[in-house]
Amino acid sequence: MKNKKNRHSILVLFSLSMLLIMLFFTSTVSAQNKVILTGKVVDSITGKAMSGVSVLALNTKGGGVVTKQDGTFSLEIKKNTAVLIFSFIGYTAQTVSIVGKTVVNVSLVIANTTQEEVVVIGYGSQKRSTVSGAVSKYKNDRLDEIPVSRLDQALQGKIAGLTVQNISSEAGAAPKISIRGITSINAVASPLIVVDGQPIADGLAYLNAADVESIEVLKDAASAAIYGSRGSGGVILVTTKKGNSDKPKYAFKYTIGQKTDYKRYDVMTTTEYTNMLFYEMALRAADPTVIQSVNTVASGDRAAYIIENALRDKQSTDWQSESLRAALIQNIQLSASGGNKNSKYFISGGYQKDQGMMYKSNYEKLNIRARLDFELSSKVKLTINLNPSYSTKQSPSENFTNFWRFPRWMPVRHTAATATLVNTNPQYANIKAGDYAHPRHFSGLAYSGLMPDGSSYSTTSANPSGSAQNNPKSTVDNSDLNSSEYRLQSSVELNVLLLPGLNFKTLASGYINQSNGLEFYKTDANREGDVNYGIFTNGSNIDILSENTLNYTKKIKSHDFTLLAGFTSQRTNINRDQTTGMNFPNDDIRTLNAAAQIDQGRTFGTKNKVGLLSYLGRVTYAYNNKYLLSASLRTDGSSYFAPGNKWGSFPAVSVGWAASKEKFLNDIKWLTNLKFRGSYGATGNNRIGDFAYLDLLSRANYSFGAGTGTLNAGLFNNAAIFGNQDITWERTFQTNFGADISLFKNKLGLTIDVYESKTEKLLLQQSTMAFSGAPQFWNNIGSLQNKGFEIDITNTNIQRGNFKWTTSANLSHSKNKILELGKETYLLNYGERSEVYKNEAGQQLIYYNGFKTDGVWLSQKHIDDAKAAGLTSNLSAVFTPGGLKLVDINGDKVIDNNDRVNIGNPYPDFTWGMTNNISVKGFELTFSLQGSQGGKLINGDPNYNESGRVIKVYNNNRWISAANPGDGKTPLSRGTGFNWMLTDYVVEDASYWAIREVNISYKFEGNMVSKLKLKSLRFYLSAQNLYCNFGKNYRSLNPEGRSQTGPYASVLIDGYQRGTFPINRTILAGIDINF
Amino acid sequence: MKKIITLIFVPMLFLAACKKSIDLNPLSNVATSNYYKTGIEIQQALTGCYSGLKAPLVDEWKMTELRSDNSIMGNAGSTSVPNRELSDLDLFIPSTTLNSINNYWTNVYFNIRNINLILKSLSINYDEVTGVLKSDSTSVIITTQQRKELSAEATFLRAYHYFNLVRLYGGVFLIHKPITPDDAISINRSTVADIYKFIIADLEYAAANGVSSNYPTIASQNFGANLGKVNSWTAKALLAKVYLTLNRKSDAIPLLTEVINNSGYGLLTSYADVFSTTNEVNKEVMFAVRYKAGGLGLGSPWPNSFAPELSGTAVVNGDGRGFNNGTTELETLGYSTTDLRKPLNLAIWSSGSNRRLYPKKHISQVLSLDDGENDWIVLRFADVLFMLAEAQGNIPSSLAIINQTRTRAGLTALSATSVATTAQFETELAKESRLEFAFENKRWFDMLRYSITMPSQDAVTTIKNHFSVMYAGHYGKYPAPAATLLEIQNYVNTNRLLLPIPQREIDNNTKILILQNPGY
Repeated sequence: MKNKKNRHSILVLFSLSMLLIMLFFTSTVSAQNKVILTGKVVDSITGKAMSGVSVLALNTKGGGVVTKQDGTFSLEIKKNTAVLIFSFIGYTAQTVSIVGKTVVNVSLVIANTTQEEVVVIGYGSQKRSTVSGAVSKYKNDRLDEIPVSRLDQALQGKIAGLTVQNISSEAGAAPKISIRGITSINAVASPLIVVDGQPIADGLAYLNAADVESIEVLKDAASAAIYGSRGSGGVILVTTKKGNSDKPKYAFKYTIGQKTDYKRYDVMTTTEYTNMLFYEMALRAADPTVIQSVNTVASGDRAAYIIENALRDKQSTDWQSESLRAALIQNIQLSASGGNKNSKYFISGGYQKDQGMMYKSNYEKLNIRARLDFELSSKVKLTINLNPSYSTKQSPSENFTNFWRFPRWMPVRHTAATATLVNTNPQYANIKAGDYAHPRHFSGLAYSGLMPDGSSYSTTSANPSGSAQNNPKSTVDNSDLNSSEYRLQSSVELNVLLLPGLNFKTLASGYINQSNGLEFYKTDANREGDVNYGIFTNGSNIDILSENTLNYTKKIKSHDFTLLAGFTSQRTNINRDQTTGMNFPNDDIRTLNAAAQIDQGRTFGTKNKVGLLSYLGRVTYAYNNKYLLSASLRTDGSSYFAPGNKWGSFPAVSVGWAASKEKFLNDIKWLTNLKFRGSYGATGNNRIGDFAYLDLLSRANYSFGAGTGTLNAGLFNNAAIFGNQDITWERTFQTNFGADISLFKNKLGLTIDVYESKTEKLLLQQSTMAFSGAPQFWNNIGSLQNKGFEIDITNTNIQRGNFKWTTSANLSHSKNKILELGKETYLLNYGERSEVYKNEAGQQLIYYNGFKTDGVWLSQKHIDDAKAAGLTSNLSAVFTPGGLKLVDINGDKVIDNNDRVNIGNPYPDFTWGMTNNISVKGFELTFSLQGSQGGKLINGDPNYNESGRVIKVYNNNRWISAANPGDGKTPLSRGTGFNWMLTDYVVEDASYWAIREVNISYKFEGNMVSKLKLKSLRFYLSAQNLYCNFGKNYRSLNPEGRSQTGPYASVLIDGYQRGTFPINRTILAGIDINF
Repeated sequence: MKKIITLIFVPMLFLAACKKSIDLNPLSNVATSNYYKTGIEIQQALTGCYSGLKAPLVDEWKMTELRSDNSIMGNAGSTSVPNRELSDLDLFIPSTTLNSINNYWTNVYFNIRNINLILKSLSINYDEVTGVLKSDSTSVIITTQQRKELSAEATFLRAYHYFNLVRLYGGVFLIHKPITPDDAISINRSTVADIYKFIIADLEYAAANGVSSNYPTIASQNFGANLGKVNSWTAKALLAKVYLTLNRKSDAIPLLTEVINNSGYGLLTSYADVFSTTNEVNKEVMFAVRYKAGGLGLGSPWPNSFAPELSGTAVVNGDGRGFNNGTTELETLGYSTTDLRKPLNLAIWSSGSNRRLYPKKHISQVLSLDDGENDWIVLRFADVLFMLAEAQGNIPSSLAIINQTRTRAGLTALSATSVATTAQFETELAKESRLEFAFENKRWFDMLRYSITMPSQDAVTTIKNHFSVMYAGHYGKYPAPAATLLEIQNYVNTNRLLLPIPQREIDNNTKILILQNPGY
């Protein structure tokens, strides 16, 4: 299996490199008539000669030179060359026509790229130089070539302050994203995603990366406050591409590649496992301290060994290979753009296929986008945006964990020998070779055979597995989980210039998401005797937004003013229906009409409307572009709260000082730009469940009457959280200080931001006394703090002639703290194995609360010595040889719950990302590194029977007996001694760094391209996760992996992983044509 | 000009439309604040409270049957959390944060809240001082008769919950009206006596106001549509059990006699018929939590929960979870081989290491997982008879009661000479009751009560004996280091007969100190 996978990728790589080489050579064909061209380059302001300026002829291969000390150059070019390009760091590149010329003199202008850059902010845009809040911009620099299926995954490590955690590499899985830490506990605190002005919750999931022009992240409250209500998690603004008034341009991109797992679990075969048991038993047999009557290998393990060795001829099922595969990914993008003076268009279509690494998982997406801009008159502009998309998803019905931990002695399908064996049980007399094997088939049978130590063993009845589950492969084969989504985002925007400087904009937009799905389970799919059933789901989400703003700009001498006043109204209609049909006469007829019965227990529907009404205003003022001021206010009314508590106001103010524009700094040559910024503002959050302020009654039927009874309609208040009429907006106040610095004529750019935020009146599901009728209630109580800093650096390391190397890097640090939790000093939350997550005022939001350990108890004597020294405990299994040795932290000689301490938290000290771009002529190499440092996680795998027993790393060097204590750190097994999950034994380092992306491309220029009538032609190879470096005591597959369901859906529980899905390593090749 | 008009007009238009856009109401649910206004609405809410009886039952067998000598967890040595919790309960060493202890508590109080919402709107109020329920004036549109009947059912259900709570957890929190979270933090545990005072008040109200037609009448009226609802007789029977639990035998006897003589309930001739899914709410069933199969979402989980694990389709479609395994103790020391009750209570599946004893009376075939028909019988007429025997003590009519169920089970009657002493009588009564009601979540409460009403049947001693009988076959098989029999026997003491109050109820109150049950 592994070989096949490798062969595949080698094949793809090989053929592509051959193609590249061939193309490379064909472009160097014949020599041409040549001309010598000379000239001089000077600075446009000082008039001084400039040395080192790159002079490059377009359409020739390579022939570039650099100007000499006196600014002159001499260049041999082909006769038909039309233009030369002059470029120098910090200066705007110039393209000069040379037709009919032999001498070309050029004066270069200092580039104002940073200053001139326009940044999209809420309800408008602003020149970078006048921005006084903390806004990061990411221009789409081949985001679409990063081999991930979602835009948000592509943003990992790209923007300081934006944390993207790929908690699972399963196809289409959403990463966890946050901006500047955690600002809420029970309300959704993910960033607000705004696509071309319309807030769209799943905007980053469905957008086609190729359509994205830029992404702006509003990080501080002052910038986000204009989105008041929903800005507390930060705001991500996505701007899509639009056309230019130009001749039609076409772009075509095709990529293909494959995805394989980076690392798998190293699982013992049953034979290896049993060998280990016998080896250990032999060691113990020689140990006088071991009670020999208990020193034995269980009958189930012996039976399993017999099956794998004798019946299956040492065949051991590799369940990981049964579920994983080398997956194909494919992406086709086509776009056309252009226009004339009055109308512009950008139209694109894309198709993406992303197979999951797991068998039977697949994601396909079809996208169309049309953006049309019309200038109806000199005063009226109209923009129309249409973005339909269709996606389908297929999922396996069993997760990866259920595969890899399945017993390896089990065949997927019965062999003749195993069938004969299970036929001895009359219940399974009809099983034939080739039928799916299930663990229960093997239980209670007679086994006899040789053991690893050569002894023979026989039993009349043994249970090699206690699992009632079906073999996962059969479950996946016998079920089909499909869903599809149709989305339509559309908007019409009308801009009217009412008076000079006064612009009225009205935007009407709609976002429709219609989804449906069918999960069909064939007869016996999950358990024997199961009737077939299908779960039909239908959902729609219709979001209508009306946005009306007035924008006024006025310049009086050196004073620049802008005024914004606006009013928006948003309405969301949500529908969800689920119908479950069962007992279909045939597994292949899967429509509801065929269902013999509707299962009402799994049939339901909900419908809801959500409304948001907002008034907003903003004033900006700049004096000489030097002193900057911006103030905004937004007032929001939400249907989420009870009458009287619906409205919240979110003010913000920010100031800036462009210090480098001051005279006293003018003389500092190396300082190109220096700006200081400061801001303070409030943002809010209302994203809790619908109608959380009410106690709602739900269906609770019951049967009364003779016989089996007659159904009676009933209602019941079954919410686990009490409603509270008094709840209202949760608010975050944030202070931000920042500086934008560029040095050496923009060669080095540096942005630093420091912030502190405080979230008050948290929308908290506060614990209450369960005897009141619900264990929790909604309340506005408690406050959280986030403090941190972010650094963004961009540097042009080398630019010499054709060679250019730039680096951009970012680093973020964020630390949260619970300031208060209302009346409570702490909350305790429990995970699936009773591990404790403590939320305590004055501490980070979550820390793991448990016992510290100091290796294992090496022997009974070791314990007796400790007891003799006075150590006692009432907790169960504290004193067990081979079990964990708990540390008496408080030194009171009693090991009890008072010895539980902070044994780690899930939060990294800092996260970072770095992207390098190196270009030489047509070659370009981009590689990104990304990492996270200092977080801790709880790994649940060692503690699970199925995984803990058979994964090698959890068993290496373990304690066997007093005479063979192993490394003194690894306990015997999870059943021995104190519960591991309450100790630091399962706490591991979650730090990592990875080479996330590497992209090598070659862009063809010259004859070949022009002969093909192309503007450009590029080939590239791209790879993701070529190398990942994990923390030193990390023992699983993906340090970013996190359990997200069950208790782990809570924000108050984080950092746990079990059965993590492997990281993907993706390699792909692509072609990029513009014409 | 036109533009200016548009400019002013468009936002105005929205302003008008918008007030409404945030004044929205739920579309798929009714809020409690808008409900409980008419008799029909009260009836529907009460139906909801009957369905609310189901959630606690999921855990109830773990608190009762599992801790008694009838049942063990089926997978000694399993380390999965659910299995570990089961063995901790079975061994009387539950942690105060144990999930099922907490879930049971939460689900019971959940239903109590819903019941209190009904009683509050009907203005049936409990006076903590006098210990009686008063009917005040109500704004609900309802007839006097309907109000009496519905409130009687509601008070019965509330008393049933508190009776279970007080026996499992001791003096719990006495909540007799809907309270807010703010109210809750000033409420401490009540004494056991106060809880019983409240239970008695509720049951007396239910007995006085509930439907008092006898069983044949209820079964014949309106095609028996009210079968399955609790009535005055049910209340009297439960009240008698409360008195018996308090060792107030003389208060219990008249109530029991009245039920036996006038209720119209009675014994069926066949034990198996009592539990048959084609014979539900028969005349022996005084109170059952009702389940209904057929894809209605009302099916019972018992068939799949109690069928042996790994049995495939041999016992029931969709395999079993293997909960509530019968003990070999019950098999060897309890049922004689000819006992007709044995195949229903201790059915045998497989052999060798897979051999399991399981309570077949709760199992009927299902079409899909957890969609069984089997009702959960809470109170049946045979129980009323046994209570009377227990209250009367060793007199001939008591022995006759024991012999009544013995002969129904196909056994010979016990002679008065063989049951001469009080101790003999008590032993026979306890044994007979154990065989009769096995796996009905009754044995545990009986063991507790016998400690008071029949001192020869001490619960702690019974459990220690149970550990000793089952040590080799079960308790000794826990993973290394297996506790010795003596260690296990020492786990149980009178304190441990009560469960701990869920730790969260103690931790969550920072205002007042809430005491844990002694010994935890």
